[in-house]
Amino acid sequence: MVTEQFRRQLRQESEKWWTEGLIDAALYENLSQRYQFDRLERDASHRFIAILMGLGAVLLGIGAITFVAANWQVWSRTFKVLLLLACFVSINAAGFYLWRRPVAFGQQRLGHGLLILGALLLGANLGLMSQMFHQHGDLYELLLIWGLGVAAMAYSLRLTSLSVLSLILTGMGYHGGWLSWSSWQEFSGTQAIVQHFPLVVSVVFVPLAYWCRSRVIFGLSAVAIATALVLNLKPVSIWGSFLPSAGWIAAIAFILPPALLWGYSDRIWMRQGTADTRYPAISNTHAFHPVARSLAVWFLSIVFYVFAFRFWWDNAENSYLYFLREDLSWQPLIDAAVLAVVAGLGWLQLRYQLKRAFRLQAQAINSGTIAALLLLAAVVFLRHQTIGLFGAFSFNLLLFLLALGLIRDGLAVGQRHTFWGGMVLLVLSIITRMLEYNTGLLLKSIVFALCGVGVIAAGLWFERNVKPHRHTLPQASQEGTL
Amino acid sequence: MTSRLPEPSRLPNRQPQPIAQPAPVPEVDRRIPGWRLWVPLLFQAALILAVPAQDAYTYTTGRTVVLQTVPVDPYDLLRGYSQTLSYDISRPDSLKALPGGKRFNEPVKGDVYIVLRAPQNSATPPRAWQPVRVSVDRPTDLAANQVAIKGRFDGWQLLYGLETYYMPEDQRQQINTAIGQAQGQQAFVVEVKVDAQGNAVPASLWVKERNYRF
Repeated sequence: MVTEQFRRQLRQESEKWWTEGLIDAALYENLSQRYQFDRLERDASHRFIAILMGLGAVLLGIGAITFVAANWQVWSRTFKVLLLLACFVSINAAGFYLWRRPVAFGQQRLGHGLLILGALLLGANLGLMSQMFHQHGDLYELLLIWGLGVAAMAYSLRLTSLSVLSLILTGMGYHGGWLSWSSWQEFSGTQAIVQHFPLVVSVVFVPLAYWCRSRVIFGLSAVAIATALVLNLKPVSIWGSFLPSAGWIAAIAFILPPALLWGYSDRIWMRQGTADTRYPAISNTHAFHPVARSLAVWFLSIVFYVFAFRFWWDNAENSYLYFLREDLSWQPLIDAAVLAVVAGLGWLQLRYQLKRAFRLQAQAINSGTIAALLLLAAVVFLRHQTIGLFGAFSFNLLLFLLALGLIRDGLAVGQRHTFWGGMVLLVLSIITRMLEYNTGLLLKSIVFALCGVGVIAAGLWFERNVKPHRHTLPQASQEGTL
Repeated sequence: MTSRLPEPSRLPNRQPQPIAQPAPVPEVDRRIPGWRLWVPLLFQAALILAVPAQDAYTYTTGRTVVLQTVPVDPYDLLRGYSQTLSYDISRPDSLKALPGGKRFNEPVKGDVYIVLRAPQNSATPPRAWQPVRVSVDRPTDLAANQVAIKGRFDGWQLLYGLETYYMPEDQRQQINTAIGQAQGQQAFVVEVKVDAQGNAVPASLWVKERNYRF
């Protein structure tokens, strides 16, 4: 992949070479043709126009929303409704017909901007309608309806920008709904969307990610599903209670999301045989599963870190958390069950890897070790009311193992971010434990110093000895660049 | 993962791959059919119209009922200036003494119907209707001067969907002052429309002798 920056530098350099007589005009011309120097300026100006258009569209959208807030009450209701609808429809139509033009690049951008403006206007219209009738519904209901409306357009036009907007709106709506104390809903069904948000995202946005072939949408959807599973099951509200379900809820809420993310594979959705022929792009590259897997590791790191605190395990009956207790619903278990089936299908696909798990593998963090970590954590969660401080010990151990595994993988594969992720996790856990347990100042200083020395040494060693992931460059060209 | 590493012996022999030309502006056929715009647009327009549909129905078919109010905090950041209203019948304490009102001794959430009775004689500003009983099921045996309004008990207060009033920008100051002066007096009432199912929408606001249409 040739970056634009490289092309710019190459143009600059080759012009210099030409004037210095290193290369002749024909060679320069060849380079210029191959790297399309003449397009550089046009690309830049297109991008500039695109940024301006986007900025303009956002400002116009905000203007429209403020207009709503300004409570204009001079015209009659019917007239206002008609005016708003006309405005909404015409902007969307203008956007669409400009956007679908085959050649005119600037107009396409303008059309795209107008389509985004149209999506923002949908929200403005919904808000104004609600305001005109003095509805008492919460903002989150509006955000949910708005987000799903935009999703329809995103599906139809296959636009990543609209999909991301829609996902953000829906996600904000979900969090608003989750936090909302009010029991009044203007629109029936919004509460159901909040309660089954993991399923809603799985059904609406994950296919949208495939449809738009966008990793961003997939990643955001995966984050939304994982957090919504935890939030909806409310494991913390019954943590440590003697309800028999407390252990199960905790285990499901904290183990299902990483299991789902790690086991997720695009192949789940394809029948044997059709996989490689119908969707070659997806089946060959497994476009989305690296995203899901790194999210799984992130999720596990956070869960292990949080539950390594002694606070959770000190008292079997954890009185600090009593205030969080509220009426629980079994509804989120439906989502958990459905997603557990998906996770199960994913892990079925992984069963061959599992068989090889205990033979030596290239990476320490592989399906086998993840399965082992998940099982151990699940057992501890299940028994969390009775095991006391052994729980804190187990999670510290798990955290330590995960960090070590990441560091080892970072070294083995030469991935800098994996290495540093593991390093940060390890140091963070050591320092947290030291601050948590009231140790003497001398010990604190020794640990800090050791951590510092360790990090510096490991970093220096890594940067010196492990070549970052550039094995594909032939030897000659590597020397050439030095 | 080891498979990613190319075998060293093969490296020197590798033919330099022709570097891919930067893709020209995609000449993809963008002439996607018009229905791909109009179908979702129709859906979105339906959503916009669905927002006030129930209220518009209630407004046109409903009976006018007058409720005694007290205002609470006045500001809703995103949607502009609004007055939050609370009613006599929003407080479970004022309903506990009525037939069926024992329900409010427990913080059990859910829908309830409040039966309201019209005042004996009309006046300006109109006099508030009085609650006469509380029912969990929708009452069907109402007298001619009675109306059942649907509310939702959230554990400590009742909500009717009548709690927010968006004020015109230019009248905001004036209305807030008027409400502040009229607070606690009999004269601050809201006219609402209640349909046969018990749904309610606000219709107008009376502060002393002045009437503000919603």
